[in-house]
Amino acid sequence: MKNDKNLDELFRDKLLNYEQEPPAYILENVLASVASARRKRKIVFWRIAGVAAALFLAFVAGWQINTRNGQDVNSGIIVGQQTAPEISAEVKPEITPAEKENTFRNIKSKIVEKPGTVNLQLAELAKENQINQISNKSTKPIAGNSKSEQVNFVDESLIVAKSEESRALQPMKSLFRLINQGTKNVANSLQEQKTKALKDDWAVKTIDQQIMEQNQMVLARNETPKKARWLVGAQVSPEYSVTRSSHSQVYASNMLNASANSVDLGGGISVEFRKGKRWSLQSGVYYSGLGQSSGNSNVSSGKDFMFAGADRGSEYFNTNVSIDANTSKMMMNSTAGVIEFSGIPPGIVLGTNPEEKTMASTAVVVSDARFIQNFDYIEIPLYLRYTFLDSRFDVEMLGGFSSNLLVGNETYMESSSGKSLVGSTRDMEPINYSGTLGIGLKYGLSKRISLNVEPRVKYYLNSLNSNSSVTYKPYSIGVFTGLSYEF
Amino acid sequence: MEDFKPIITDCINGSPKAQSMLYHQFAPKMFGVCLRYAKDTTEAEDNMQDGFIKVFTNLKTFRHDGSLEGWIRRIMINVSLEKIRKQHLLFPVEDVSVYDSVNFSDDVIAKIAADDLMKLIQQLPPRYRMVFNLYVIEGLSHQEIAKEMSITQGTTKSNLARARDILKKKVHENFGELIGQNNNTA
Repeated sequence: MKNDKNLDELFRDKLLNYEQEPPAYILENVLASVASARRKRKIVFWRIAGVAAALFLAFVAGWQINTRNGQDVNSGIIVGQQTAPEISAEVKPEITPAEKENTFRNIKSKIVEKPGTVNLQLAELAKENQINQISNKSTKPIAGNSKSEQVNFVDESLIVAKSEESRALQPMKSLFRLINQGTKNVANSLQEQKTKALKDDWAVKTIDQQIMEQNQMVLARNETPKKARWLVGAQVSPEYSVTRSSHSQVYASNMLNASANSVDLGGGISVEFRKGKRWSLQSGVYYSGLGQSSGNSNVSSGKDFMFAGADRGSEYFNTNVSIDANTSKMMMNSTAGVIEFSGIPPGIVLGTNPEEKTMASTAVVVSDARFIQNFDYIEIPLYLRYTFLDSRFDVEMLGGFSSNLLVGNETYMESSSGKSLVGSTRDMEPINYSGTLGIGLKYGLSKRISLNVEPRVKYYLNSLNSNSSVTYKPYSIGVFTGLSYEF
Repeated sequence: MEDFKPIITDCINGSPKAQSMLYHQFAPKMFGVCLRYAKDTTEAEDNMQDGFIKVFTNLKTFRHDGSLEGWIRRIMINVSLEKIRKQHLLFPVEDVSVYDSVNFSDDVIAKIAADDLMKLIQQLPPRYRMVFNLYVIEGLSHQEIAKEMSITQGTTKSNLARARDILKKKVHENFGELIGQNNNTA
């Protein structure tokens, strides 16, 4: 033990305050590295700020162009609305109080409760040419509800309809132009800053430092570029869709109320191409569901209510409907478009009176049900991703566009008796375009496998429904979770 | 204690002049520390460079409630420790003979040069060298060393014993003559 202490003391005494002058090059290297790290931090900051600004600009521009596009559709429809007062002015003077009384009695006798009987009644009415009379004279114009109405709308909003297709593509073109311009500006400003920083540093550097930096630059140039990498992955996400729509006044006056937004499950397979450390391009195939549910307009008094369900009590609602003269199919206006029923849904009460001229509609559905519209899309995205933080826990930002192909269009009715498929939504566009913005968090489980969590916002650039009275552009929020494999 | 606050502020603001001044103030002492923890001068120079880069990039985190020299010394030791961890160095087992009779008088200590002792320390296997430095020169306890190096206290004790044995052997080999003369005259 004593020997140990003796040895320890020997070394401690001699080496505790041992000093030796280090070689001069160490200081030069240290100063060069510290200056380089400082410059790098500045460049990274501006690069991140630039990318964030570009993506934000693209998102805002897309949104703005999108909103302006929606307003154009509405202004076109106002032309159509001008015809409505003319019709009612023509019809109203013909009705006398005595006729009204007779009509009300007729209506009461024609309210039918069994679905099968309703169909028969409708057939009889059609035979007597009474339905033709509805569409020609008394029914308020509802876009797409009858042949004659379609003709009227085409005449009056011809310009709007013609430019529909070009407008749908316009936001995409504008967005691409904006992004290109934004990226160029950011790149230019970064280049300027880099050049300025280099000039400033150059002035204070010694000749040795300059030589060393030049050598480093030559070495960096001679380094072989990193090999491109591919990542394949699978992701799932709950998608919460929020309705964003506008309608013509005429259409909206007979429209179901959107009562709730639905949460659907989406997901798919992604392929990512990564060249370099920061940027990557992603595509793939995704399934995404979009849906909304609609309740009835609550009416507690008025002629329509008396007509349809006065004897049923106030717990019932009513919604005006129209009957297609040719197909005898029932139709209702919803926020997403006109719902076309494949038949009279079970469990509802339909009252019709083609002779009634004073009510909002001649056919009224009485039901406590709600209608759920589901749209299924196959999405083919093209996203640009930028990695902010590249370590075991990566942080990325992504933005881009998707083409969405409509593959499912169903309308369900849900009531106390259950849920059943009752029809579909008319005039849904087969292809739509959407913009996406998100943040990606990636955790490396192993060298090749990563766990991803990506909150994303997706908004549709064009209306999902081609009906000129409807602009339906929902947006959805999802948290995509999955695994990716790098090779 | 010298007030380094103004020079530290200038270093944080990126002044190369202030950085040079701070470097010159501590470089000789810190190079001594690096030499003790390295296997040779080249490794010590590498550690010294990495250590001072860390010092300047993390200077803004230095709280002025302790000694700046102690803070810089700590960084140099950590850099050396980190290097050993990264390299996953293996430790050759040496046939160590125990020289219980070795005794160093003040005369002998005075005659042995610090540079020679430094060379002996550098010849130790990396983990033995680390434990010996931390225990004998820095004055850390076995518990602290075990925590620092992520090993058990038993291992640090064993490593220290092995390091001492090796050093005794080497001192005997290199300075046996001196010790012998001293013992004879005594």
